[in-house]
Amino acid sequence: MPVRTMYRRALGLAWVIPALVLLGVFVYLPLVQNFGFSTLTWDIYSGSQEYVGLENYRELFDDPVFWSSFANNLWYAVLSIVFQVCGALLLAALVESIRSPRWARVLRAVYFIPSAISLTVAGLLFYFVYEPRLGLLNHVLEAVGLGRFGQAWLGQESTAMFAVIAMSQWQGFGYCTLLFAIAIQRIPSELYEAASLDGVGPVRRFFHVTLPLVREMTGLMMMVTVSGAFQVFNEVMVMTSGGPNNSTQVLGTWLYRNGFVRNDFGYAAAIGTVIFVITLALAVAQLWITRKRRVEW
Amino acid sequence: MRARALTRYAALFGASVLALTGCFAGPAKAPAADVTAKPEFSGTLSILTKFAGDPLSPYFEDLAAAYERKHPGVKVELIQETDQSIKDKTKTLTASDALPDLYFTWTGNWAENFVRGGRASDLTEVIGPDTEWGRTFSKASLSAFAHDGRYYGIPLYNNGKFMGYNKAAFAEAGVGVPTTFEELVDSCPHLRKAGYEPVAFGNKDGWPALHYLQQLFAYHVPREIREADHHPGTATLDDAGYLTALKQFKTLVSACTDTRGGTNGVLYTSAQEAFSRGKAAMYYQEILEFDNATAAGAGAGPRALKPQNLVVRPLPVPEGAKGDPEAIEGAPEGYLVNARSPRAALAVDFMKFVTERRNAKTLSSPPYGQPSTVVGAVTPETSSRAVFQGIETVNKAPRLAGWLDMVTAPEVADAWLAGGEALISGGMSPEEVLESVRRASKSAK
Repeated sequence: MPVRTMYRRALGLAWVIPALVLLGVFVYLPLVQNFGFSTLTWDIYSGSQEYVGLENYRELFDDPVFWSSFANNLWYAVLSIVFQVCGALLLAALVESIRSPRWARVLRAVYFIPSAISLTVAGLLFYFVYEPRLGLLNHVLEAVGLGRFGQAWLGQESTAMFAVIAMSQWQGFGYCTLLFAIAIQRIPSELYEAASLDGVGPVRRFFHVTLPLVREMTGLMMMVTVSGAFQVFNEVMVMTSGGPNNSTQVLGTWLYRNGFVRNDFGYAAAIGTVIFVITLALAVAQLWITRKRRVEW
Repeated sequence: MRARALTRYAALFGASVLALTGCFAGPAKAPAADVTAKPEFSGTLSILTKFAGDPLSPYFEDLAAAYERKHPGVKVELIQETDQSIKDKTKTLTASDALPDLYFTWTGNWAENFVRGGRASDLTEVIGPDTEWGRTFSKASLSAFAHDGRYYGIPLYNNGKFMGYNKAAFAEAGVGVPTTFEELVDSCPHLRKAGYEPVAFGNKDGWPALHYLQQLFAYHVPREIREADHHPGTATLDDAGYLTALKQFKTLVSACTDTRGGTNGVLYTSAQEAFSRGKAAMYYQEILEFDNATAAGAGAGPRALKPQNLVVRPLPVPEGAKGDPEAIEGAPEGYLVNARSPRAALAVDFMKFVTERRNAKTLSSPPYGQPSTVVGAVTPETSSRAVFQGIETVNKAPRLAGWLDMVTAPEVADAWLAGGEALISGGMSPEEVLESVRRASKSAK
């Protein structure tokens, strides 16, 4: 190999080494380390650790709260796809079809505002919206004659998880709408004009022009929302801490509870590994599915 | 070629895991701290307190400033946390082997973990009951932190759980302050008719339910059995008193709270506020909350709770209770000295300063209202009537029943937490709750 080529390669490698070191130390090393922890029982007080192999993983399969947490994450993912992908796309298309650019701008801003609020603050805000006696939701239901449906939304096992998910959709919906709106704005207006000249109505325009041309963004949003659904933590901690009776536990909070409440850090690490595997698999699958969907015009 | 590469990567991954596992084989043991040594008044003394937020945070801040003035070479670094956040903070610091020189502790299993793990200094030589410093504390509060005859904790304040009654609400409803659990439940419809929520109760965090349960368990289950049941190794949890207590708790929630099955959706502080503002007639609270309960209601209208209307008594004993009717739920709270701290002697000296009579009196007085464990610090002059009365009752009680989530193993405590919530929401029957706790206790063996 010529010296010049070797020099160029070495120089290239030198440029990427700092990034590789940072990635290795702060991303990949903790992942491997976490897997190491998941094969231990660890008494944080004495510092003693005992190797137990895959025992923590076996325990996971017999743990009903692990499975209900997993189911809650799935609910989160499904409802996020419905609201934050399908609903946001529909809303973005509606907003972008408004003829007045000023109104379109105003509406985009209005929908985006909840996303500017941190999840912790939004969780606290909705905690008070759902409060059984003083909460806004029950008062509104009362005011419109539906008081009989009022209840302790976060206090009942049957409603708590969906109340948390609803808050999360409210918070994330506007952000997705904005991203879809940007994707729609990138579609050349000639395509819409041609469709109109051919007598295509707004519904068909949406399905035959908008939808195919934003599929790249749709794929990305699916990946982001589904991966996000398996990393949920803040909103659950703020609103319910996983209760009542573990009904709102998600994998993230169940991990936390096992580590910080039950002192079982090995088991918590095993849950962490499972979360990583799930999100990695989802990301790889979605990247693979959407790899040939790049739209160019 | 590909298979060989795969094998190579798998081997590399496996080796990394093993190497890392080996790397994290526990913290290096530092030499045990010498708490009897003459303190060196220099350097930074780190302290983890549970006094974050108003009105408590200035207490340690003021003392730290005063100590720094007294010893100019010392800098006191405070990490102040709340009741909820200190649990996570302490465990994170423990796991990362970064505990401060002095740190907060509850009694029971919580403190035992630090003692067992060699993270708490043996303070017997400096705070044992026969030492000069030890004699300044009440004996019961010192022994609450004793293990195998050795003394590890510095008790700072005592605490107990009491039912607070708004005397004015009861007068308005035309019923007397209840003397039995049954009378309490019977008074609820009358109080409701008079426009009050009978019992303010918020169980969002789960542990408030455990406070009711532990007191009822103490009333219904003989002490020896209850204490054996706290330890998974000896627990059977088959005394009939447990079921009776669980059923009575469910009755109380259903008959005396406005939120009933939805009580899990109410914050503990919201309930306290309802009591302070005179919207609720009863509220089960810690001594530490008494002053806050009356202060928070100030200016909240004519119905707001006034100090002279606050009556505090232990939760009324149910008729025919076969356990320990004189037991009161409560425990002192205090501080441990990090066994690996190079400033252990300085930490002891700082705590001697904190527990000097005048500082102990300040702690017991409004706005702090934390009844000091220092003998003679809580008097009718230094503390509010309610705090004085509460602490007198705790001091006279023949036995204290520690907090349920602190006296038992974490898995069992967690099962009680989930069970209490399920009992309230109707997700589980009392029998199912007890069975879930038995399972948790069995798996924690």
